[in-house]
Amino acid sequence: MSRVWTVVLSVWAMLAIVAVLAWTQRPATPFSQASGQTVVVKTVHGKRQLVVLQTAAAPHATTSTSPVR
Amino acid sequence: MSRLLERIEFRAVGTTCAAAVTAGPSDRLRAKEALHAARQEVAACEDALSRFDQRSDLSRLNAAGGEWTPVDGRLLEALELALRARDDTGGLFDPTILPALAAAGYDRSFELVEHRAPARPIGWRAGAAIELDGDAGRARLERGAAVDLGGIGKGYAAGRALDAMRRAWPQMPGGLVDLGGDLALWGEPPESGPWRIAVVDPRSPGKSAGTLLLRSGGVATSGRDVRRFGPGRSLHHLIDPATGEPAVQGPLAVTVVGSDPVEAEAHATVLGILPPREAAAHIAARPHLAALYVPSEGPPLRLGAPPLATSRHLVKAA
Repeated sequence: MSRVWTVVLSVWAMLAIVAVLAWTQRPATPFSQASGQTVVVKTVHGKRQLVVLQTAAAPHATTSTSPVR
Repeated sequence: MSRLLERIEFRAVGTTCAAAVTAGPSDRLRAKEALHAARQEVAACEDALSRFDQRSDLSRLNAAGGEWTPVDGRLLEALELALRARDDTGGLFDPTILPALAAAGYDRSFELVEHRAPARPIGWRAGAAIELDGDAGRARLERGAAVDLGGIGKGYAAGRALDAMRRAWPQMPGGLVDLGGDLALWGEPPESGPWRIAVVDPRSPGKSAGTLLLRSGGVATSGRDVRRFGPGRSLHHLIDPATGEPAVQGPLAVTVVGSDPVEAEAHATVLGILPPREAAAHIAARPHLAALYVPSEGPPLRLGAPPLATSRHLVKAA
């Protein structure tokens, strides 16, 4: 019976390790050009506040040192 | 009615250019006319202001040996603005740096530059005289002097091109002109709100160092991150009028926001040769300007209050 439990625990341990590795090694989220907003509620000094988190919206133009054509 | 950004891209003034207007579905013809007007105006400015075209008004003036020369009104106006910038910056901006720039090696259109060792600008001095006669449509340079309008020319052309769009389409809701990253903008983008202008990170060109939110005015970036020349591409085009040589100090790149594109570009040129503390003092003395100063190392500096987007906006208390 103890051998069964050992196998079960080993499987769970392995799954946990795989899950941790998958979480820590996940690919970086690519830069999104899409616009979007997420509303969250925060509590500050006992008051609820609506906060808008803006994701990166596509710029209309860029500025940089003039590239050579 | 959904609006779109009608846009054209073209090559002019030695770089990649674009013009864009906000337009609804029924405005496409007018939008195209406005965009065409912008492109025409940029071409006309290049014909007048280019130092690389031997037939331009500026080239004729530079070659006139100190004689009065009839020139296009655009060149007269650009020279007047350049002189004003020279006064406003105590000579840190100087349109007469061309002999020093040529001696350093930037003596022809950039793609044709030979990467030779720099020479010292013999006989050159900063602050050469420029005389303008607006009534007669002519200009005269001090003998031996020569002008380069690279420090304001794109901003000037962008502003004129935006004006041309507004004349071509007086009901235009909004538009922008982008000449190699120097911009003039006005009105509303298609989705209303401010225009979003991404500042390219000179240390990591595929990324943004921030996004400016602007309603109108001008934006210009100057830096030593591109257009490098000379042995091992060790030189850059930002000449320090105090030495006549490429500036030793200064940021990798700096972006200036102003109420008009000429002013933004002139002050970007100046900040491009100043160390951080002097750059901060320069902007502090001109509270109508703001800048994002990116040094070669260390964090970018916000000078004044550049209208950069933040990731969070408090909208209301519940």
